[in-house]
Amino acid sequence: MTQPVLSVRDLTITFRTREGPAKVVDRMSYDLGPGETLAIVGESGSGKSVSSLALMQLLPTPPAVVEGEAIFEGRNLLALDDPEIRKVRGNKIAMIFQDPMTSLNPVRTIGHQLIEPIELHLGLKGRAARKRAIELLDLVGIPSAADRIDDYPHQFSGGMRQRVVIAMGISCEPDVLIADEATTALDVTTQAKIIDEIKDLQERLGMSLIWITHDLGVVAGIADRVVVLYSGQIMEEAGVDELFRDRRNPYTRGLLASLPVPGRTGRRLDAIPGLPPDPLRPPRGCPFSPRCPHAVDLCVRQEPALREPVPGHRSKCHFDPEDLYE
Amino acid sequence: MTGFVVRRIGQMALALLGVSVIVFALIHFVPGDPVRTALGTRFDQEIYDALVRRHGLDQPLAIQYFSWLGSAARGDLGVSFRSGQPVTGLVLERLPATMTLAGAALAVALVVGVPLGVVSAIRSGSKLDYAATAISQVGVSVPDFWAGIMYILLFSLTLGWLPPSGYVSPFTDFVGWLKHLILPALAVGLVSASIIFRFVRSAVLEALNQDYVRMARAKGLSRRAVLFDHVLPNAWIPIVTVVGLQLGFLLGGVVVVEIIFAWPGIGRLAYLAVGDRDFTVLQGAVLYIAFMFLVINLVVDVLYAWLDPRVRYD
Amino acid sequence: MTDLVQESEPIAPVAHRSRFRTTAETVLRNRLAVAGLAILALLVVVALAAPAIAPYTINEVDVANRLQGPSAQHWFGTDELGRDVFSRVIIASRVSLQVGFISVGIALGVGVPIGLFAGYYGGRIDSVLMRLMDILFSIPAIVLAIAILAALGPDIVNAMIAIGVVYTPIFARITRGSVLTLRDAVFVRAARSIGASDGRIIGNHILPNVIAPIIVQTSLSLAFAILAEAALSFLGLGVQPPNPAWGRMLSEGRGFFQQAPWMAIFPGLAIFVTVFAFNAFGDGLRDALDPQQRSVIESRGKA
Repeated sequence: MTQPVLSVRDLTITFRTREGPAKVVDRMSYDLGPGETLAIVGESGSGKSVSSLALMQLLPTPPAVVEGEAIFEGRNLLALDDPEIRKVRGNKIAMIFQDPMTSLNPVRTIGHQLIEPIELHLGLKGRAARKRAIELLDLVGIPSAADRIDDYPHQFSGGMRQRVVIAMGISCEPDVLIADEATTALDVTTQAKIIDEIKDLQERLGMSLIWITHDLGVVAGIADRVVVLYSGQIMEEAGVDELFRDRRNPYTRGLLASLPVPGRTGRRLDAIPGLPPDPLRPPRGCPFSPRCPHAVDLCVRQEPALREPVPGHRSKCHFDPEDLYE
Repeated sequence: MTGFVVRRIGQMALALLGVSVIVFALIHFVPGDPVRTALGTRFDQEIYDALVRRHGLDQPLAIQYFSWLGSAARGDLGVSFRSGQPVTGLVLERLPATMTLAGAALAVALVVGVPLGVVSAIRSGSKLDYAATAISQVGVSVPDFWAGIMYILLFSLTLGWLPPSGYVSPFTDFVGWLKHLILPALAVGLVSASIIFRFVRSAVLEALNQDYVRMARAKGLSRRAVLFDHVLPNAWIPIVTVVGLQLGFLLGGVVVVEIIFAWPGIGRLAYLAVGDRDFTVLQGAVLYIAFMFLVINLVVDVLYAWLDPRVRYD
Repeated sequence: MTDLVQESEPIAPVAHRSRFRTTAETVLRNRLAVAGLAILALLVVVALAAPAIAPYTINEVDVANRLQGPSAQHWFGTDELGRDVFSRVIIASRVSLQVGFISVGIALGVGVPIGLFAGYYGGRIDSVLMRLMDILFSIPAIVLAIAILAALGPDIVNAMIAIGVVYTPIFARITRGSVLTLRDAVFVRAARSIGASDGRIIGNHILPNVIAPIIVQTSLSLAFAILAEAALSFLGLGVQPPNPAWGRMLSEGRGFFQQAPWMAIFPGLAIFVTVFAFNAFGDGLRDALDPQQRSVIESRGKA
């Protein structure tokens, strides 16, 4: 890969709770190339959101302890002090969240909220800032942007609101846009539309995109590379086509097997039995061993390494699928 | 916005009507004969009959109500049984005293309660937070009239810093007026401050946990900007609500404190009227207090709508 | 893929019993709440045993020893008639607790059904009932209480009624709020779909879930009711002589402030401690049962 835009190394996040430390993200490492779309996939509680919040120091650090590195533009984001990281937020790296209703301040116009990062990072003021805000609303597909800029969030539909949030995200033409479950709260049709629009914007602005989701269907439509996260650890990492064609990790197999297949009705869904491990009491060996249908003694005793049997395709498992599935 | 205000005024008028019915009913279902009691030992059948006719007490209740209501609408609340003076005059005379005391108490409550609540929420879990929360727990439980008495004991009788009771007009002696105002205002205000503190703290804490705060920080806004532009504007809304609700308590507390400190307000008037069985005065005073309360609630509601655009498009 | 979207639903009645245990555990972890509970327990014991444990009777006049400060024979000193303040204070606790419990009982007994019906049936019934509650709400508490007592005559029973009436609207409001949230909950729809009658639905399904905020409100209202009783008897409108009442003792103590401040200090302290205990315990309950409960409760305020 050419020089990565963002390089995350051994990111480890531990939460100090009343019952002891809970390790939510465990030595996560990945690279993000320019213009690339990386999907981080996992169940609720896998650590996918937390890992991204940590990049911009958005986690409250009394309970959270963040270790590791996130190299961006030659500097470690995790070590920057407050004024420095604020210059990155919304400007070089932007983040948008799941629920557009709660992401927008209900008592301020969307114009006001859109202009905030514009004035802050681009130095535009007054008329110029407002003009740019209107352009952005146009760009994301809000009709009659010039009229609607003074409206309040509750006057927009869900899909429109998310478009406003996207506009806020791209307002300063960031190098990286992190979308945390950005379409999960929307209906399927709107979801598809917004994903297309984001891909379009990505091409136009040359952004890299980190797409966090639990929905593999979305991944297929948008990602270049995929990282599969389980219990805070990367279980598999590969290009999207490669992953769907040749999944090597039992967890990924389980995920894909539990997807409903259109046309094949009348069969029970193959959900993965059991629940993800408690971050306060993680299993000693492989984190998936309690639920893995192929687990053996070795899996429980010893944590597997993240091996790379095929170039560009890593899997955290003691075995290769050739051994497991004849 | 104007539509909203008009509708609220209409609701207020209805509520006031309801209150008037209750007040009237209460006063008139009193066992015993107010006129007879008022005359006491000076009882004389002729005077009695004259008074009864004069106050319209021989009419059926419904007519009495409507005529009272009618006069009240025109500003005539009848005359005192005891002194014969017009009730409206008596009430209006005392209105400024009550309003200033209530205002002072409210000022104390807000100045102490709101900033402390905000700071406590921002520094949640700190020593300041724990201390303030503990003190507020005490403050909420203290009876305001006892507090008033304790303050008199401490500041007037023991330390001699402030006068124990009474009232001086601000126009004749401004400093003296202030000195007389401090203790009663503190007695009511500090208790209210405790309640407001707790509420502000939880409102700000809740606002701080909202997604849009996270979003604002993700855009690169400074802590200060996030606080003043996003957190507080949303926290104001429940704060205004609780202040509005507190006003009822404040007015009630003011009534009691007026009695302790011999502050010549409407509350004291009402209390003395109960003792004298002077029901026209009591009616008028209670109606007036309710009216003030409703008006203030109206203002609070309008303020609420101004702060929260979602309500306007109701 | 397992889509772990969780809907937060009110718990159907079956889970009720174990909720009691977890609630109790949470409350007991809160030191302040436990302290409050302990004080309350002590208070109830003292109130019940008062006639037995009081060293003097309430009207044991002893003019020779009037206005004495706290001493070994008179822990709280004596009043202007030489009566033992300590005995009077602990006997007055009976009045306060009595008035407190009964008036809140009235408010509960009237307010909760009103809220239940208004919330469940909605429409016209709801409007009318809530209008009525709003009107009561719109008169400051103590003013309303004074007016009621002026009408009915100052008396302990009337004081209970007055305070009960004053606090009825808030119980109605809270109940109604809970009922509205629950009315369309899935398990209620399920019950209706199998033909359960309205009464059965209200009793078996809605009421258990509404209980939590009501319990919290009860504890906090008890605190305010006791304050209200104290305020009313302070104004001479509550319990009449010769029965002692904390509020009235305060008022009587005012006249002798300079010579015998203990006459006013101790009754007031008793009120404060009692109210504090109810508040502390109520707060603990609220944090355990529903941390999101808004301060409509707190700010309705005291009389």
